[in-house]
Amino acid sequence: MPTIRKTQVEFEGRIEEREVIVEEEHIESWGHDVEMRWVGKPTPRVDGIARVTGKAVYTHDIQLPGMLIGRFLRSPFPHARITRIDSSAAEALPGVSLVWHKGKQPAVRSLDGRAIFVDEVNYEGAEVAFVAARDERVAEDALALIEVDYEPLPFASDFHTATAADAPSVVLGEDNWIDREGDLYERGSVEAGLTDADVVVELEFTTPVAAHCCLETHGSAVAWEGDLVTVWHSTQSIFGTRSSVAEALEIPMDRVRVISDYIGGGFGSKWGAEAFTLMAALAARETGRPVKVVLNREEEHLVAGYRPGTYQRVRLGAKQDGTLTLIEQEADVTTGAFGGGGHVVGGPAKDLYLCPNVRTRVRAARANTDGARAFRAPGYVEGTVALEGAMDALAHKLRMDPLALRLANYAEKSPSRGQSYSYKGLRRAYEMGAERFGWSDRTASAQSDEGPWRRGVGMASQIWGGGGGPPANAIVKLLPDGTAEVAVGVQDIGTGTKTVLTQVAAEELGLPLSAVRCVVGDTLPAPFGPGSGGSVTLASSTPAVRSACREALRQLIELAAIMLGLEEAPAGDFTVEEGEIVYGPDPEKRIPFNQVTAKMGNYMIVAKGARGPNPEDRAVNTFGAHYVQVAVNVETGQVRVERLVAAHDIGRVVNPLTAESQVFGGVVMALGYGTTEERVIDPDTGLQLTPNLEEYKVPVMVDIPEIEVVFVDVPDVEANSVGSKGLGEPPIIPAAAAIANAVFDAVGVRVTDLPITPKRLLAALRQAATESKEGTR
Amino acid sequence: MKPFSHGNATSIEEALEALSGMSWPLAGGTDLLALMKEEVAAPERLVNLKTILGLDAIAERQSGNENEWHIGALTTLSALSQTPAFADHLGLRCLVQAAQESASPQLRHMATLGGNLVQRPRCWYFRNRHVPCWRKGGRRCFAFKGENKYHTILGGGPCYAVHPSDPAVALLALNASLLIAGAQGRRVVSLEDFYVMPRPDRQREDGYHPVTILEPNEILTAIVVPEPQANSRSVYVKRTERGAWDFALVSAAASLRLEDDVVKEARIALGGVAAIPWRANAVEEVLIGQPLSPELIEHAAGAAVAEAKPLEHNAYKVDLIKGALRQALQI
Repeated sequence: MPTIRKTQVEFEGRIEEREVIVEEEHIESWGHDVEMRWVGKPTPRVDGIARVTGKAVYTHDIQLPGMLIGRFLRSPFPHARITRIDSSAAEALPGVSLVWHKGKQPAVRSLDGRAIFVDEVNYEGAEVAFVAARDERVAEDALALIEVDYEPLPFASDFHTATAADAPSVVLGEDNWIDREGDLYERGSVEAGLTDADVVVELEFTTPVAAHCCLETHGSAVAWEGDLVTVWHSTQSIFGTRSSVAEALEIPMDRVRVISDYIGGGFGSKWGAEAFTLMAALAARETGRPVKVVLNREEEHLVAGYRPGTYQRVRLGAKQDGTLTLIEQEADVTTGAFGGGGHVVGGPAKDLYLCPNVRTRVRAARANTDGARAFRAPGYVEGTVALEGAMDALAHKLRMDPLALRLANYAEKSPSRGQSYSYKGLRRAYEMGAERFGWSDRTASAQSDEGPWRRGVGMASQIWGGGGGPPANAIVKLLPDGTAEVAVGVQDIGTGTKTVLTQVAAEELGLPLSAVRCVVGDTLPAPFGPGSGGSVTLASSTPAVRSACREALRQLIELAAIMLGLEEAPAGDFTVEEGEIVYGPDPEKRIPFNQVTAKMGNYMIVAKGARGPNPEDRAVNTFGAHYVQVAVNVETGQVRVERLVAAHDIGRVVNPLTAESQVFGGVVMALGYGTTEERVIDPDTGLQLTPNLEEYKVPVMVDIPEIEVVFVDVPDVEANSVGSKGLGEPPIIPAAAAIANAVFDAVGVRVTDLPITPKRLLAALRQAATESKEGTR
Repeated sequence: MKPFSHGNATSIEEALEALSGMSWPLAGGTDLLALMKEEVAAPERLVNLKTILGLDAIAERQSGNENEWHIGALTTLSALSQTPAFADHLGLRCLVQAAQESASPQLRHMATLGGNLVQRPRCWYFRNRHVPCWRKGGRRCFAFKGENKYHTILGGGPCYAVHPSDPAVALLALNASLLIAGAQGRRVVSLEDFYVMPRPDRQREDGYHPVTILEPNEILTAIVVPEPQANSRSVYVKRTERGAWDFALVSAAASLRLEDDVVKEARIALGGVAAIPWRANAVEEVLIGQPLSPELIEHAAGAAVAEAKPLEHNAYKVDLIKGALRQALQI
């Protein structure tokens, strides 16, 4: 009988108490010594060939008969009032189906509580008008024909201007502060931490605004059939999208189907339905034709979110032996006009080290830009840059090995929650990474300077959630020919989800991988699955698949027992071996899986499964450490990352191939964050100067170092029945900090203003040279 | 993008007849089409030059007692960078280096040398359709007091955008000249005279202040590079923020002829520092007649930036160009 229980789930640094329906008996986790056939084996993606041959259908690829294209006219001002808008010429243009704006509102005016077409626009790119037309060119021509008069208003682009005494209002009538007092966390006291300290370091950091740069820009295509609406949407959350579409259109949820079979990049900014989704749905309903709206590259930079920039101050106190007495971190975050994005910048400071006195405060203010959004380990990337940079400075001041300093402050229990960890393999990750990197021989590499190139090494560590939790469901169907279909309401945003779900199902069912087909990214066939954020997808959904497969096998064994004439035998006496159901007490009595299903005729075994609760009174977290070698050119200011070893503890590694890919991707993003990527807004006009991939510089292949990945790979048997945790976010967290620390090791100057571009590095070197000259005078 | 018409030219004469203020030549299109998509340029008609045969040939020719290289203006950057006669030629290899370091492989397959030389600035204000900057016919340069980390340190305004071409810098060091065809006939112009500092009196029909003397009804047909004298060598050095597919922060091209380690001839060109590819006469004066010692190189690097007037955010370019020049002179 189902019961309702409470369970704790961590999502992006925040702990939630959730009620969970527990349907069946507890499934023991696969232990350390269980022989596995598929799980843990390097497994090529089940959809890899479709992806690399162009057969995979992304939202951008959707082409439907009679489909219209929708485009937005967007504000060319960071802040303005629209005083006049005239769309008559656009409406008269042949091929234009409809035009909407504040004077010609669509049937539904707002999404998630915010009106779309309004008098006051608060950021460059804000929606001013929408056009649906025969094709993109006609739509663009129509936009050019819409006459708009704007009254430009004063604006603020940055935390400092927005919070200055005489700051203009970012949103008229609203306070520029979103959180003036700040999100405060405190244990112990700063005073005690300072009193107990032998050594104190204090540093200031600036982190940039970073763009997600999804290769598939945001977009939706919508088609109605009667009162049923199908939404193709490039999203990390098909069920979240379904809820908000149903709510916005005021239609029952069962009329909405969301499909997101392939997604070209989901890093936090594709979290549900957006204004363009709603416009496409409304325009499709009004015109009776499918409508597709996809953002172009410039729009992707202007209105699809970003990791907010921060100004941070960190103060650490320690005893002479390295024991931390104080961690204090203050962060000021610039979000958009309407907020958004995670600001859990203090997360790592709370939990990465054992320290009695910790205080973190995160304040947030509005600015006249599009809203910030979650971006791969929101807050934790920013916070780790400062915390781990300060730890490096502290190690330097104490003349300690940076790794030894971290080990001296190792937290065996969750410092902020007081709970034991379900499993923590960070110590092992430190060791494995250090060994692979050759950390104990690091002075040798530091001495290999060549001409203007200086070598240096650095490291940084990381904590993140990723334990996942309920609710998550799965359905398994066993078909007459002995194959299985698995439907899970998650989406594969490129991480390999579909592949790991297939592995887990094949493992539990005792079937070859080729006999299992997994369907994700479609709300119609699949029961609920969580959105792919917070690194929860695998840890939430694979146990649900195990549970469904277990239930399917139970039914199959009942049938097999009948066929073997063993109706009375207890179910526990049967096992599944190599595709056969075997009666333990008499192994001669066995029947192949597909013989049982074949005899069922068209009867299908249909089983459902659910994710069980998280362990009681346990913190479930992921950990890791990155070790980096850089070469820094003191003449050109170039930072060349030569080598990076990433050691991660995520419990059991289900697929070493896709796991390694996750780390590659995270490291490359962090490399850009640390060295090349930066959104720039012109202070004079408030316009973005970097809304393209020329000026917003993601790393190119030659910038990418040798990345070596090692996993602790010890199953977290307390966490869930598969023993795995998430890996989407951990690898982006420590790399930029480790790079910055290695740069310091190379040149003896700490660049605390990211990214470390030639400009910043040369300026820091020049300043250091001036200071040392003055010092000797 | 504004609608436009498109026609193929089969001869230079035919192309010239079709060209006018708002009817522009199209070669690789890697710059022009992007300008049009970004709504920074809006020609009414494009005249495709790629259908003219023979404009993409590279040939060595006799001119008086000298040999010279004729590079057809439609030669792609990838073809140029794979020309053994240049790559294996110490005196000319800076051109190959500059071509190789331009853009990305895909762009180099499309982009032509002629188009590269006449491309418009990459300045992030100029390329923003909402910003009415001076270069586009507006009243002022937004970079001058704005975000100017990529902008000029030499030569002043009124436009502070740097010239983005890599090959132009190498060709300036190689003393190249350009063949230009116009309705009134052909003319030959040295590359140095081809580029002009921003001037208020020269303006195109669409408001644009051109970087070159090329008239709207003219076509650049070939680039002529004199065969360097024996013992010449050349180097192109480029500094960027990332490892590839990046415009130069700064660059330096040096073409030197040495005898017994003494500099007999020197042509030095700098990129990323001025509105045009910058001939560093002062550096040449320092070098010529002197033994190429580390002290001389240091002196030369100092001379390159003696007149530099950095803006608020680009003082780092002073160190950067000195380093690039030093490296170019050392090789």
